[in-house]
Amino acid sequence: MIAALALVAALLVQMTLVNRLHLPAGGVPDLVLLTVIGLASTRGPVAGAVMGFCAGLLADLMPPAAHLVGQYAFVYALIGFLAGRGVGGPVTTVVLCVVLAPVLAAAVGGLIGDSRVTMATLTEMVPVTMVYTLILAPVVVWTISWSGRGRLAT
Amino acid sequence: MRDTRRARLILGLLLTAALVILTVDHRAGDGSPLGPLRGIGASVFGTAQQVGSSVTRPIGSFFSALVDAPSAQERIKRLEAENARLRSGLATAALDKSRSAELQRMLGLAGTGGYTVLPATVIARRGHPGFEDAIEIDAGTADGVRPDMTVLNGDGLVGRVVAASGSTATVVLLSDPASSAGARVEGGNELGVVSGVGNSGRLVRFRLLDSTAPLARGLRLVSFGSEKGTPYVPGVPIGVIEQVEATPGELTRSAYARPYANLSALDVVGVVVRAPTRQPRDAVLPPAAKESR
Repeated sequence: MIAALALVAALLVQMTLVNRLHLPAGGVPDLVLLTVIGLASTRGPVAGAVMGFCAGLLADLMPPAAHLVGQYAFVYALIGFLAGRGVGGPVTTVVLCVVLAPVLAAAVGGLIGDSRVTMATLTEMVPVTMVYTLILAPVVVWTISWSGRGRLAT
Repeated sequence: MRDTRRARLILGLLLTAALVILTVDHRAGDGSPLGPLRGIGASVFGTAQQVGSSVTRPIGSFFSALVDAPSAQERIKRLEAENARLRSGLATAALDKSRSAELQRMLGLAGTGGYTVLPATVIARRGHPGFEDAIEIDAGTADGVRPDMTVLNGDGLVGRVVAASGSTATVVLLSDPASSAGARVEGGNELGVVSGVGNSGRLVRFRLLDSTAPLARGLRLVSFGSEKGTPYVPGVPIGVIEQVEATPGELTRSAYARPYANLSALDVVGVVVRAPTRQPRDAVLPPAAKESR
């Protein structure tokens, strides 16, 4: 329940606030991705994959959307599983997930022939997004996994 | 580790489900069975975004104020100078009433180009990580917005409506790499296509269909318009050419143009609900002197 609320809140904040900031270099952090990573890291791979899938499906359906439904469901399900399973230490897991997510999104887009996925987007836009997301990662992931642990302990 | 067979099975199932949904949506195109689902998503989340937007708008402007702070000082100075100049201009204008009336008539004829515009505010934006550039506006079918309508703001062309729900509509921006709009070079009949290249809409690519036609820095582009004014009405200013690319041996010539509308900081936009009855051609373009920086 808390997880669902956190995901919907993250989606709304991402669409109405974060995506409309014009930060230097023209990128924005991906808050939804960090929320999925944070939630999955305390709840294990199965819950992580399911939550990631639901978050991705919501992100696909939420306006404004001009891409195909299912693209982010795929990406976030895989990321949720990886974050829940853990790859090495917690820091390695978060960094790997943040780097992997946009590349996966680009790969799925490329697979269905999305003309927006080009080499230029991969080399110019994606690194900027990754850097902003990594800067925000410690705060968001720590807050969410801390609140998750608190809930499990009590 | 907690990496069991069951976990892998569930992951496999979810990924397959995502791919199936993706394929169905891709193959079915406009008649997709997921269309109604999207409609529900649009009306539910559109309302939530409208509420959320009114809360987050002050926060957003606070952050942009922080980011813009270094240049703000300089802007205040410039605005003060401009203010003084305008005030003196106003004094002279008040004296010359007949000239003012004439100007008004001319502006009425040329300025608006005869579009019927419905104003709307941007409530949400999608742009990460640069694959698509779309915004959500707070006007929908209830206000008369339909898919394939032109969207512009005070400066120039912004994009077109791709989907509309009851009270909100989705607009794909000019800077979206998948969008393309017909464009005409000012003063002539040379036609071309404007398409986005991502990078937050700082530049758009313009491809001139006739490779022998002259193409130079500083030339201005207006929309060419389509049949019945959908999705683009004619005569809307698009931008000014910044750099021309040398493309020897190709059938088209390409250039990069800076859009008049600041696509990374949109707030109030207008949806053209009725196209002009008469082609405005270049009449809506801003004065050329401003563009010669």
